[in-house]
Amino acid sequence: MVDFSLTEEQKSLQDLARKFAKTEMLPVAAACDRAGRFPEDVYRKAWELGLMNLNVPTEYGGSGLSVFDQCVIVEELAHACGGMTTSIIANCLALEPILLGGTEEQRKRTLPAFCSSYHLASFCLTEPSGGSDAGGLQTRCRLDGDHYVLDGEKCFITNAPHASLYTVFATIDPALRHKGITAFFVPRAAEGVVPGKDEEKMGHRASSTSTVKFDHVRVPLADRLGAEGDGFSLAMRTLDHTRTPIGALATGIAQAAIDYAADYSLKRHTFGKPIGEHQAIQLKLANMAQEVHAARLLTWHAAWLIDGGQRGSLESSIAKCFASDAAMKVADDAIQIFGGYGYMKDYPVEKLLRDAKLTQIYEGSNEIQRIVIARELLTHYA
Amino acid sequence: MELLVLIKPVPDPDTRLRPNAAGTALDTDGVKWVLTGYDESAVEQALLLKESAPGSRVRAIAFGPAPRTEEILRSALALGCDTATWVEQPSGLVPDPMLSANALSWACQKTPFDLLVVGKQALDDEAGVVGPAVAERLGVADYGPVVDLRWDPAAGKFNLARAVEGGLERITASGPMVVCLQQAWNDPRTAKLQNVLKARRTTIDKVSWAEVQAGVGPAVPGTRLTSFRLPPPRTGAKMIAFKTPEEAAQQLVRLLREEAKTLP
Ligand SMILES: Cc1cc2nc3c(=O)[nH]c(=O)nc-3n(C[C@H](O)[C@H](O)[C@H](O)COP(=O)(O)OP(=O)(O)OC[C@H]3O[C@@H](n4cnc5c(N)ncnc54)[C@H](O)[C@@H]3O)c2cc1C
Repeated sequence: MVDFSLTEEQKSLQDLARKFAKTEMLPVAAACDRAGRFPEDVYRKAWELGLMNLNVPTEYGGSGLSVFDQCVIVEELAHACGGMTTSIIANCLALEPILLGGTEEQRKRTLPAFCSSYHLASFCLTEPSGGSDAGGLQTRCRLDGDHYVLDGEKCFITNAPHASLYTVFATIDPALRHKGITAFFVPRAAEGVVPGKDEEKMGHRASSTSTVKFDHVRVPLADRLGAEGDGFSLAMRTLDHTRTPIGALATGIAQAAIDYAADYSLKRHTFGKPIGEHQAIQLKLANMAQEVHAARLLTWHAAWLIDGGQRGSLESSIAKCFASDAAMKVADDAIQIFGGYGYMKDYPVEKLLRDAKLTQIYEGSNEIQRIVIARELLTHYA
Repeated sequence: MELLVLIKPVPDPDTRLRPNAAGTALDTDGVKWVLTGYDESAVEQALLLKESAPGSRVRAIAFGPAPRTEEILRSALALGCDTATWVEQPSGLVPDPMLSANALSWACQKTPFDLLVVGKQALDDEAGVVGPAVAERLGVADYGPVVDLRWDPAAGKFNLARAVEGGLERITASGPMVVCLQQAWNDPRTAKLQNVLKARRTTIDKVSWAEVQAGVGPAVPGTRLTSFRLPPPRTGAKMIAFKTPEEAAQQLVRLLREEAKTLP
């Protein structure tokens, strides 16, 4: 039987996330956004409650949640602040290659540290020369005895200035393209690992993003994930699992936009009545509600497929692409409903637009998602 | 130390409340029921005492209809209570505070305890009856409203402070006893994700309505709610026009004195 309702267990996870979002994130969200402050105290509390390593199985001390349950939590967190949510779930992205591609020995060596105390990890795929064309990455790995030597630079890496471990994708030979890409985990403490300075961003300003340089970094053979040349597939499989929660993150931002806009529309009066009684505003609200509802259901569907053991590349692309476009539209409409106040930083909705924008870009831009969707579609007609 | 804590599902303060069509009770449609307010503080206090006296155990007990009562017991388990007892309330029964106290007292006397903590009143009906009435039923002392409560392991006694007019009254007492807690002098913790999941798999002990009736006699509410209304919406906000902050302050003081008459 298909079922669209949350279980009691999922409802209690939702309550937990909602409470944390409301009491710990929301009160500092505007100030962190303005100052570009990385609220480490909030992240530590998120870690203490078990909201940080959601995908890590309980046997390593993580929360061991399904993708669906992760989505339920991520939507609630993002309702309070998209940027903080990006930083809170960055461990899930960074540790997923170890979960999917690591040996039991490698998992035991790396994962428990993240669950027994507060540590951040970063996923290092994107490079200054390009993010979308991951097969064309330039960071080199060269075998030297029982070590690899890593050379290159990554950019736009979430949490990089604060991370203690990086999962890194490099190539044994750029001419091999996808076939040369190889994955590693590299401790921050390794010699030659140099995170850059925090970038000044449009949105997600409570998150931290920087370059990471790898300058003759010696990585033991034992820290390679999978075989040489397995890295591209590992990166793609990782993103298959983390893309859907990004759909949920976008849905959370969009739901916040509706909540603010609907409330405001009943309080603000023009021409003798609340603006929510003008039909033009009602139509806008109705469209916003449709977008968010569809975004949430697409996200849930993709998560359900993945939890059922399917790859879900197509459905997670659809969910992420649709939900992030929806978040942009709905945040834009919310600003319009707030009128001039919506444009002011003293009101919460302009931040939503700035935060929503990133969800169309990262974890595979929406152009790339559409390429994936169309390619899959056309195979059924070729 | 064996600790009991009594809790009650109350409407989430964030949900919009409205009366039913007849205006005789709260319309419970769409209401989210939560563990909050005085009860949340009471659970926190029980857990703090448990942590201060190793080997202690906390049992949460609630009387109310399914499924909301089970849900708040699960919240209490997720926060760290060891066991939970649901005292069944049959559908259709609208209990008054004395009936609730009788039903709860039956569940409380089933196992020996040192301390029973309860909020000084529930956040919804604010009756403030259950704590003292349960104490009366069980024949033990009760103290309230308590603003500080500690266990003195050397003396084997509790040190507590009661808020009284103009000051604090400090009392040393030994169990078994009932303590009715003032809200929010502790900072209730948030449940950890793993504990939330674990609480879902914990078995909740049930005391059936038939057992309650056999134990305390046929329970019939002694009072009946005849009307339920929300407070009227606030009106009459007055905006002060001003050029300087000093002028605004003067205006405000004048209005408070002459119109609102809240200043002498
Ligand atoms: C705040 C932030 C945090 C991030 N965090 C991480 C992180 O933790 N780890 C990580 O590895 N990366 C991270 N990224 C990087 C992000 O994933 C990339 O920015 C994204 O994949 C796009 O890559 P790019 O910026 O190089 O754009 P490009 O690849 O240069 O693309 C530029 C534009 O061209 C479009 N385009 C590219 N190829 C095609 C095509 N074939 N057809 C049509 N259009 C195309 C793109 O969609 C885009 O609009 C982050 C980025 C940001 C902004």
